[in-house]
Amino acid sequence: VGGIDADAGGDLARAALALARRFAAGGTMWCVAPAWPEHARHVAVEFVHPVIVGARALPAVSVEDADPIGRLRSLVRAGDVLVAVSGGDDPIVVDLLLRAEAWGLMTVWIGAGARPVPGGADHVLWTDTESGAAAHDGTVVLRYHVLWELTHVCFEHPGLLAEPAADEACAPRDSGCITCADEGHLAEVVVLAGKGEAQVRTARGSETVDTSVVGALHPGDLVLVHGGSAIAVVGAERDGDAG
Amino acid sequence: MSDFLYPFLDAAERDADPLLADLARSAVAKSDNSHMLRATTLERAEGRLHALAAAMAERFEAGGRLFTFGNGGSSTDSSSLAALFARPPWGRPLPARCLVDDPAVLTALANDVGFELVFSRQLIAHATDGDIAIGLSTSGGSANVLRALTEARARGLVTAGLSGYGGGEMARHPDVQHRLVVESDSVHRIQETQAALAFALWTAVQVVLDEADRG
Repeated sequence: VGGIDADAGGDLARAALALARRFAAGGTMWCVAPAWPEHARHVAVEFVHPVIVGARALPAVSVEDADPIGRLRSLVRAGDVLVAVSGGDDPIVVDLLLRAEAWGLMTVWIGAGARPVPGGADHVLWTDTESGAAAHDGTVVLRYHVLWELTHVCFEHPGLLAEPAADEACAPRDSGCITCADEGHLAEVVVLAGKGEAQVRTARGSETVDTSVVGALHPGDLVLVHGGSAIAVVGAERDGDAG
Repeated sequence: MSDFLYPFLDAAERDADPLLADLARSAVAKSDNSHMLRATTLERAEGRLHALAAAMAERFEAGGRLFTFGNGGSSTDSSSLAALFARPPWGRPLPARCLVDDPAVLTALANDVGFELVFSRQLIAHATDGDIAIGLSTSGGSANVLRALTEARARGLVTAGLSGYGGGEMARHPDVQHRLVVESDSVHRIQETQAALAFALWTAVQVVLDEADRG
């Protein structure tokens, strides 16, 4: 019960290589686990202070805050990684993982119990074991321990650590991706910039967009941007046809 | 830089598929090892686990509280253990608290009296003779954990220690009444198995209390 099968092993392998690439490119790992803060701490200490002598110390941070979104907004930089440890229905985590796309983060979601909706994160490392037990009996811990172990194996393959080409790096979730599909990209409203315009943050930086289609916005709102215009407001409960 | 340190590494390697296949196999093997270690450890520890659960249940019934502590990954595992008792996924909540969770207290003690005393000093402030202390240490040798267990024993607490590497000093320490040992030299596999022991312990305490309720 709670073991890693071949499929889950493949998920871990891909997550580890992607994570190693982000670290190699200077990214920081941010760890959040609202219901189980000890897991966020454990993931971070694993990477910062490796138990194996000689393994490199990597920048990982646990964030414990009643409002992790507010805490992370100013700290994260495009190219960083967000690791969430939670059940599949934690509303803060669902919102954070969605927002991470606008912040330019690679996302890893480690958890147990009912599976999250597909596309909830770039890498979903899941066990179907009941989450109340899995969070405390070593089942969840096993997953991030193995992620750490595999990530360090990747550092022995420097030729594979270069960021892949854009079409490979871009994993469009349900909002699509501007570099590979002309559908729109996710943006977070930073400030309203006068009548009918807003300054937004996207994975590629900051831009000013026309907001006349979507109407009144507030800082922190997520919008889908297409051709310089915000074309839809996106919520954590966003359904498939919003993109 | 890595070329200098590791000249055997192939900087020209481009095809990630063989590595990904190796990593996936390795993940499954590590998981299998972890589960085998958990199964053998739980089987070997069964008697000691139930003795500890009975002692803890008796204390909880009389109003006792559980204090947990450890360093690094074991600090988070001791947090997880306390959270399991205090805010369980099911069953009855029991008073449990991890002595690592307040950085103000931890840094004050570390700065003023030394890191070896960060847990024992908190027990001096909080613990009474009806309480329980559980320390976690993968090596079994963490000085501040052993010091706290000695303080706990002197104050009449039930004392228990979880350790790996064959038990270390913790497994021989006269102040540790209940010793749960994981026979492994991998910190990761030890911690996973300690979590399994902690969950089995919590389950056993709940069962003992349920049986006591039914009389």
